[in-house]
Amino acid sequence: MNESPRTRRILLVDCDAFYVQVARLEDPEGAGRAPLLVVGGSSGRGVVTSASYEARAFGVRSAMPSAHARRLCPDCTFVPVPIGACAERSRAVRAALQELAPVVQAASIDEFYLDLTGTERLFAGETFTESAWRIREEVLARTQIQVSIGGGTRRVIAKLATRRAKPAGVFVVPEGGELDFLKTLELGDLPGVGPTLVEALAKKGLVRVEDGLRVQEPWLQNWFGHRRGAWLYRKMRGMDNSEVDPHEGRKSISSERTFFEDLDREEDLERRLLELSGSVGATLRRKGFRARTITVKLRDHDFHTRQHSRTVPEPVESDQAIRSVAGELLAELRAQRRVPVRLLGVGLSGLLERGAPHQLGLFETEAVAGETERDRTVSHIVDELRDRFGTDAIQSGRLLDGPTPGRRPRPGKE
Amino acid sequence: MNFTITRQNLHSGLAAVSASIPSKTTLPVLSNILFEAREDGVWMSGTDLDVAVRVKVPADVKEQGSLTAPGKKLQEITRELPDQPVEVTTRGDQIELKCGRSHFKLNGLPAEEFPTLASVDFSDAWDVEGKDLHALIHHTSFAVSTEESRPILNGVLWELRDGEMRMVATNGHRLARMGIPAGTSGAPSADFIVPPAALQQVQRLFKDEDRLSVAKSGNHLGFRAERTEVFTRLIEGTYPNYDQVIPRDSDKLAIVDKKALESAVRRMAVVASDQTHRIRMMFEPGRVHLNVLTPDLGEGHDELEIGYDGEELEIGFNANYLLEVLRYMPTDEVKIAFKAPERAATMEPVPADGETIDYLCLVMPLRLLD
Repeated sequence: MNESPRTRRILLVDCDAFYVQVARLEDPEGAGRAPLLVVGGSSGRGVVTSASYEARAFGVRSAMPSAHARRLCPDCTFVPVPIGACAERSRAVRAALQELAPVVQAASIDEFYLDLTGTERLFAGETFTESAWRIREEVLARTQIQVSIGGGTRRVIAKLATRRAKPAGVFVVPEGGELDFLKTLELGDLPGVGPTLVEALAKKGLVRVEDGLRVQEPWLQNWFGHRRGAWLYRKMRGMDNSEVDPHEGRKSISSERTFFEDLDREEDLERRLLELSGSVGATLRRKGFRARTITVKLRDHDFHTRQHSRTVPEPVESDQAIRSVAGELLAELRAQRRVPVRLLGVGLSGLLERGAPHQLGLFETEAVAGETERDRTVSHIVDELRDRFGTDAIQSGRLLDGPTPGRRPRPGKE
Repeated sequence: MNFTITRQNLHSGLAAVSASIPSKTTLPVLSNILFEAREDGVWMSGTDLDVAVRVKVPADVKEQGSLTAPGKKLQEITRELPDQPVEVTTRGDQIELKCGRSHFKLNGLPAEEFPTLASVDFSDAWDVEGKDLHALIHHTSFAVSTEESRPILNGVLWELRDGEMRMVATNGHRLARMGIPAGTSGAPSADFIVPPAALQQVQRLFKDEDRLSVAKSGNHLGFRAERTEVFTRLIEGTYPNYDQVIPRDSDKLAIVDKKALESAVRRMAVVASDQTHRIRMMFEPGRVHLNVLTPDLGEGHDELEIGYDGEELEIGFNANYLLEVLRYMPTDEVKIAFKAPERAATMEPVPADGETIDYLCLVMPLRLLD
């Protein structure tokens, strides 16, 4: 048998403004006639789930408090999320894709990875790009849903190509063209490269992927830590061996930091914890999830690693709720063993989609519900400010108090 | 200390107390039982520091005294002893048991090392009937929260009023409330938040016909009948205003056969999501449809004839919450009242004519649509 690795053919099918499309299909006379359409947040205190491309031109974004969206675009029509219909349409798209491709993985309600590896002979008459166009047209014909398709030899390439394909298009990165494609992107476009890292990279003069490709791996490791440096090195080259797994769903979000020097003071650890909680919280909200389980991980100076988790009664999404539980978990871990700490991490699991059906609570007080509507709104507003003005636009007061403990000191002019 | 006791009395005393002993403890004396031989009998006590149990068993006391000894071992030994009188003596910190030809010596610890049980003053006590207390505990304590993150809901709220007492428990998603007319003892009104572990001991140790004295001193509550005492630490804090969340404006009423609904919900629950346990109930005149649809698993449908003449309404529930609440409903028929898909639904028993049962359970729905 031929053991040499076959060129993989991976597509990411992403529904264009999915909630907006479904809302229009469900109510052709109402939502269907409103070009400026916002889905979600119609109750007044909620957040935007999705906005039409026309509304996006006014600056309306998903996860934005709807009051703010109304200010940006007073002529927008707001409709509730047709959750049931969305789930139905999502299943329909998936079912259609399952007939068109051998392996389909639903990455979210409106994103599906397809693995067409090994179908070269089956679709002998057409190129990979033509296959993608055919799939796009078939999905539209069968489900009335417009999709954009990105393609490539790896999942991460397909994912990045989808952005280029949107809206209603196809963009396939040819085999061997990956590096050229990546060179056209900014480092911040790479999945997993968040605002903090973008800033850190910019301080080294690295903004575009092209800039990063010139840096050797040991330098990256030197600057950003061994593991992160190696990860970045691979990421910039689009190296990704992950499979398209039909059973995989997002399971957790976590962030951890190895300190430049071990930390032993409670207040220093608490400050870093605050920062990590904010970082995982922002990712959680950006992905549209709420979490039920919060985990804090500690690696002591002697590499002894331990962690504590707590599952809260109601899924939470606000920084306030995450850091309050994380703070208690850290205190428990420290009470057990109080030695200098090398690494601190915060993880969120038990993820539920924000719009998913959830258990309503009897009481709205924080002591009972874990977080209040106010906590959620505050976090969304903070996200929005950071999206517009950068990560440093708004900070917790405690993080402003002097240099961050345990961070590598920046070589300054002394 | 020296006393002679029947094997039966020793066994029942140990059985009563040893359930309050923690299975794992960092304080060795807590796995022991305290024996106190007095003129009128032997008191045995056990505690896990939150709840303490004390019982008196009849014995022929020759020499008064006290000692603590390992509870579990004593219970195992007593279970295997022949049905003959047991002579218990102490020698230093050892306890000695003689029964027929069997002879045991176990290492104990001095009585002084045993934690002092909460001293509750019973001179100003409420009078409560065992059966009333049992009914309240049985119908409400299942609903307490087991989440450590909200300690206040880890307890049962017990409201003592002149002429009435009530218990309420909730985990924030579903709630149970029961009231019972009580005699007027003249004692002042009081609210306690009692850990369910203590209430379990009360249910286990007191009989329906017992008349209990209940008293509070400091942060401890004591229950006392002739030969049995239970003490517990109370949960501190303010219980959420439960009365405010009980809907008074529900305009849709359904009368449902409890058993039929229970089995239909149980069937639907099989196909419900492991995470949310969500089922949908669609009420229409004369009928309720139960539906479940779980992506990647499948779907189910069932329907029941019910007494209902309101508007059509679809409402989602966690099947487990419905089943729990139904299990404790004391009548064959139950009345379900609701108003809208995102408002609390209440369930009440439908008693025979002339009877009244002050019992209400409340279940918050699962959101179906945004």
